[in-house]
Amino acid sequence: MSEHTVASYDKELGQLGRYIAEMGGLAEKMISDAMDALLSMDVELARAVVSTDQRLDTLQRQIEELAILTIARRQPMAVDLREIVAAIRVSGDLERVGDLAKNIGKRTLKLAEEPRIPRAAIGLKHMGESVQLQLKNVLDSYAGRDIEKARAVWENDAELDAMEDSVFRDLLTFMMEDPRNISFCTHLLFCSKNLERAGDHATNIAETVYFLVTGQNLPMDRPKGASSSMMTTAK
Amino acid sequence: MNAPSTSFHTPSARAIYGSRARTDKIVRVLCVLAAAFGLLWLSLILFTLFWNGLAGLHFSVFTEMTPPPGSTTGGLANAIFGSILMTIIGVGIGAPLGLFAGTYLAEYGRHEKLSFYVRFINDILLSAPSIVIGLFIYGAVVVPMGGFSALAGSLALAVIVVPVVVRTTEDMLLLVPNQLREAASALGLPRSYVIRSIAYKAARTGLITGILLATARVAGETAPLLFTALSNQFWNANLLTTMANLPVTINNFVQSPYEYWRQLAWTGALLITLAVLALNIFARLLAAERKKS
Amino acid sequence: MSDVQVMPQTSGHAPAAGRAAPVKLEVRNLDFFYGANKALKNINLRLETNSVTAFIGPSGCGKSTLLRVLNRMYDLYPGQKAEGEVLLDGENILNPGVDLNLLRARVGMVFQKPTPFPMTIYDNIAFGIKLYENLSKSELDGRVEHALRGSALWNEVKDKLNASGLSLSGGQQQRLCIARTVAIQPEVILFDEPCSALDPISTAKVEELIDELKAKYTIAIVTHNMQQAARVSEHTAFMYLGELVEFDETQRIFTAPSMRQTQDYITGRFG
Repeated sequence: MSEHTVASYDKELGQLGRYIAEMGGLAEKMISDAMDALLSMDVELARAVVSTDQRLDTLQRQIEELAILTIARRQPMAVDLREIVAAIRVSGDLERVGDLAKNIGKRTLKLAEEPRIPRAAIGLKHMGESVQLQLKNVLDSYAGRDIEKARAVWENDAELDAMEDSVFRDLLTFMMEDPRNISFCTHLLFCSKNLERAGDHATNIAETVYFLVTGQNLPMDRPKGASSSMMTTAK
Repeated sequence: MNAPSTSFHTPSARAIYGSRARTDKIVRVLCVLAAAFGLLWLSLILFTLFWNGLAGLHFSVFTEMTPPPGSTTGGLANAIFGSILMTIIGVGIGAPLGLFAGTYLAEYGRHEKLSFYVRFINDILLSAPSIVIGLFIYGAVVVPMGGFSALAGSLALAVIVVPVVVRTTEDMLLLVPNQLREAASALGLPRSYVIRSIAYKAARTGLITGILLATARVAGETAPLLFTALSNQFWNANLLTTMANLPVTINNFVQSPYEYWRQLAWTGALLITLAVLALNIFARLLAAERKKS
Repeated sequence: MSDVQVMPQTSGHAPAAGRAAPVKLEVRNLDFFYGANKALKNINLRLETNSVTAFIGPSGCGKSTLLRVLNRMYDLYPGQKAEGEVLLDGENILNPGVDLNLLRARVGMVFQKPTPFPMTIYDNIAFGIKLYENLSKSELDGRVEHALRGSALWNEVKDKLNASGLSLSGGQQQRLCIARTVAIQPEVILFDEPCSALDPISTAKVEELIDELKAKYTIAIVTHNMQQAARVSEHTAFMYLGELVEFDETQRIFTAPSMRQTQDYITGRFG
């Protein structure tokens, strides 16, 4: 894309891009750290994840301010308008991903007080890896304006949903085996829901990338894999 | 980028600026002197005119006829009447012609080849010596009609009026913004409507000013009348014979040996000057009015 | 992306496909010449009835020229020539037999600079009406008031109808010109950069007016202000170097234009 006649316009858009890149990196790292902390019951790491979230919130606010200012100053059109709208949307999704990672961190702190059956958490490991891969791919697609990659992320979410389904069944089994596991497993259940929702945010970003590049929206109905999503989660 | 190093504080810059300021002062003084020099002669002329003219200005000038040689009474009544009449007829014939021709140049024929030639010839006519025009009317009207006449004089004046009015009309109409014409045309107005209701209206004061200036121009013309209307010692309202008029009367009287005639010549000159001055001031006022709106 | 079903994000009334909106003006294979200089190259487009079509593009792209073909304003000047067809309700207005004055009464035009006539506010409006209709004084009064009300000017001028049109402010003058155009009840109104000489408030008033006028008239507007085009029009044409580069729904042009040149122009990446 060639440059704007007004150079400072390009600078503003460039700054937005850099903020998003930083948020993306942070969000990825938070999910990965949160999973490591959960799997190894690492209280220190979990605390670090919880405290990182603030930085993500700050970045999101900065992006919103800059985006609003740019809209007011430049009255962006077409690809520029989409670029800015995309930045607002993506930053919102990433901020939510950060919240979800933070929630996993908090639950890890609770779980570490009374660790019961660590093997129950193993099922979450694959989910965590899948979410991380989805996040990485979707951030790559955003950086490279790659709609093929974005669509792949969008379609792959079904896999994550299926994994969540199976984790759900496993945890249910543990709870039935021994009612004392219920509290422990319920926390894990929420963690798996958090991961599933982080995946949803990755697909949201994929949709945004598609819109950013083509100016059109992906269809409303995405391929679905899980059947347990009638369960709702509290924060 | 560094700040430019030149400033008014360096000695060289001050030296350059100093010489410029001196040149400026000298040129300004020269201009004022030149203007004062021109104005000096102009005011001397006016002063002489008033000094000599006012002495003979009494009521009888407007009521009595031009005196015979040697007389010490008499006025300029017939000459004033003749001048006014011939000017009115001359402008009456010349102004409409000029308006129409100017309208053609500015409106209908703006992009035509013919306009170029008309404009060129008009400019020549505009600067033609008035005595040439007098001679032309002499040949074209006086000789075929078998004698001098006020009609011929009026025609000569009309020929002088036409190019002036053509020029001012064209200029004034060209000053009317084209957008106004387009806007009128965009309402579906026929061309003649656009010109009459919009262009003339917008240029009205300018057009009137042009006619007034043309009137002022011919009011003092002597040369064309010398060969056409000649002069007449008596009151005459018949256009087909000679008619007294101020310029020719002045011309005749001022060269005479009679003191009273010379006095009347001065007074006549003052009257013409005052009339022309009044017309000019009126025209200026109109023009100023136009600028305001 | 062939297997992904793409949803158009537009709201519905596509110009080409789908249900056809009634066409008021249709331009077919139009070329335009200033002497030997070809200023418009093979223009094809349709103006839908009761909708606003905006023309955007850099200076000299031919958008104003195109507008001036639609009421044959170019005929005022020698050496200008249009080839092709411009159909107003199916009738080619480029035919030599067309009565230009009647055409211009049907296709009105509002100009860049407000051009009130040098007469009273009342006469500015009544002038055009009297040309085509023989009305009694009271009928004429009614029409003048109606036109002024329709241009949102009535409340501002009702007490000074006999003041000169030139005494109004720039924005009021422009609305007076719109009222004057509306008064003779045209079918199409062409706006040639109507707000470029106006302050933002006057601009907003004129835009509001255009929005109201489209219920009755078919409107074409040339503008340098892209936001304005985005605000007031249903369809937008982007022109460049005498060619129609892209013509589509306004929504589409300003969010996701399909041509690179359009995108570069509207995002300020031109040249």
